[in-house]
Amino acid sequence: MESLLVFNSLNILYEVFSLLLVALGLGIIFGLLRVMNMAHGEFISLGAFTAVSCQMAGLSYWVAFPATLVVCGSIGFLLERFLIRQLYNRPFDTLVATWGLSILLRKLLELGFGKGYQSLELPLSGSVSIWGTGYPAYRLLLMGFIVILVGGLTLWYNRSSAAMRVKAMIGNPELAESVGLNTQRLACLTFICGVCCAGLAGTLLAPLYSVYPAMGLDYLLRSFFILVIGGVGNLWGLFTGAAIIGGLQSGLAVLVNQTAGYFAVLIVAIIFLWRNPDGIFHRA
Amino acid sequence: MKNENNLNRRNFLLSTMAASTALATGTSLLNPASAAGSLKIGLMIPLSGPAGLFGPSSKNCAELAAETINNRGGIMGRPVELVFADAGVPPAEATKTAIRLMLSERVDAIIGMHDSAVRAAVIGALKAKIPYVYTPVYEGGECAKNTYVVGETPPQQLAPVIPWLAQNKGVNKWYMIGNDYNWPRLSNEAAKSYIASVGGKVVGEQYLPFDVNNFDANIAQIKDSGANGVLITLVGGASVGFNRSFAGFGLADSVYRLGTLIEENTLLGIGAENSKNLFSSAGYFGNINTLENQNFVQRFQEKFGAKAPVLNTLGQSCYQGVLLLEAMAKRAGQWDKAKLAATAEGTTFDSPRGTVTLRNRHVDTNVYLAEANGVSFEVVKTFPNIGSGATCS
Repeated sequence: MESLLVFNSLNILYEVFSLLLVALGLGIIFGLLRVMNMAHGEFISLGAFTAVSCQMAGLSYWVAFPATLVVCGSIGFLLERFLIRQLYNRPFDTLVATWGLSILLRKLLELGFGKGYQSLELPLSGSVSIWGTGYPAYRLLLMGFIVILVGGLTLWYNRSSAAMRVKAMIGNPELAESVGLNTQRLACLTFICGVCCAGLAGTLLAPLYSVYPAMGLDYLLRSFFILVIGGVGNLWGLFTGAAIIGGLQSGLAVLVNQTAGYFAVLIVAIIFLWRNPDGIFHRA
Repeated sequence: MKNENNLNRRNFLLSTMAASTALATGTSLLNPASAAGSLKIGLMIPLSGPAGLFGPSSKNCAELAAETINNRGGIMGRPVELVFADAGVPPAEATKTAIRLMLSERVDAIIGMHDSAVRAAVIGALKAKIPYVYTPVYEGGECAKNTYVVGETPPQQLAPVIPWLAQNKGVNKWYMIGNDYNWPRLSNEAAKSYIASVGGKVVGEQYLPFDVNNFDANIAQIKDSGANGVLITLVGGASVGFNRSFAGFGLADSVYRLGTLIEENTLLGIGAENSKNLFSSAGYFGNINTLENQNFVQRFQEKFGAKAPVLNTLGQSCYQGVLLLEAMAKRAGQWDKAKLAATAEGTTFDSPRGTVTLRNRHVDTNVYLAEANGVSFEVVKTFPNIGSGATCS
């Protein structure tokens, strides 16, 4: 019984961490740049399919990380330059444009890989015993990696001068430009960073889930729920949102059933949209 | 400069000619008058949506069936002509599609490979005016007039298989997991009686919304329940995700899995390292070791080449559907819906699945139990001529 408690707790922790990872890219693109990125799920798919391509080419799974950064970095750069840049401060237009983009990316993935499911081999098999409960080693590694990634980003966002410039650009673009900041370049780098985070999430999660061209849709809705609840433009909000959504979904799935968990997430998201659309942590 | 212009004009003329030729060909395909005497069959298959993965194999299997039949003289001397339409749509749209096929395309029959909600819509739209063949795996119970079913029902997939697993693998404590709609629920209802009849018991039963992609809570329950068998009626990506997690948590070594819709594509997604002790029960697998199937697979690969879609029970069911119409027409002696209905009972034909016989507007057919070996299936047991359990009069 005790081992079941440990097992379920680890599972809930894992769910919260993986949701945090999934929402991170959207947190940057929607949270900082106010681009309603409906293609967020497809950026995740790009990372997953990069890993699949590496496996097909006989390369090690770990090669997929630099490969994802290259793929997502260059796609992010091109998209920002030729699509998104024209649409800043027009939230609804960004929604429509990225929605179209998501369809295009899905169809391109179908064209390249077919509609079927891909299977990515687990890069680290076996399990580790934690208080007498065996837990998959790769999941533990993943959780560790998420802590490092999110911790690193938090430190960077709070301490570095580059992050200060980003904050200045978001707070008051005109003023930032007048004091000599290249806001266009900053926005471009921020966007690329968001695409790369989403791609990395895909690369990291691909060995655990089903990989197919339409997989992104699964992740988009969850990411938006997290931002709705936690609030945008703030890593604490992202963490709180992931904890509430992940905790509710997995906690109720254990205590009642999966339908109850899913239902509760929808209810909470609706209540937040209705009573507190800015979320718990809202950047002033 | 002048040359360039000429070239452009020539290109323009060429492309216009090509376009008008294409248009003319397109029209002749659509216009019933120009293909007088042919027997038109409307195929409603998923070309988009979540089941879109099965579109290419469904289409190709139907095309191969039409070619096979036309090579032996068509149906009652009329060459078979196929019209494809997307059934991966909401029921309201499927109603319109069925009416369009019947009234403007003037099809003589409709074959459908889609979900049950669309089936209800199609039956409502056709009002029994033309024969309708429903082909995929489904929950059973359809007895509408002029409607014929060639897909597997829960009694076929489970009645022989659950006792076999009890006897040969000692599976007697079942955990049931499925997506939350009528097919999984009715399949599990049927399964419970077969489990009870061999002295087994059900230790858990869970239905999940389609959007769930984290199965940890269920895996904890399975571990805790002491189940030694899991009956899986999750579909598509959910089935892939569940099976990957299940094996990831190390349960595959000690707990057997049986799926009633784990076909070849799903197995590819599950992956070789996660498919140990995974069984699948169906009326068709791409590598059934019968002469008819070997011929079928060979012709399929010759016709559609190296990039041919993966054969699976859903796609192949369209082939069965076309063959059923041919056999029914032969038995009736003419293409008339009332005559077809009157003589339908007992219609029999040879197919890649084996010999199939129409009873109660469903089919008696072979059921194959396959075990996953890496990412391919190996049939471990064939249950011949299993009845559908249908009671249509």
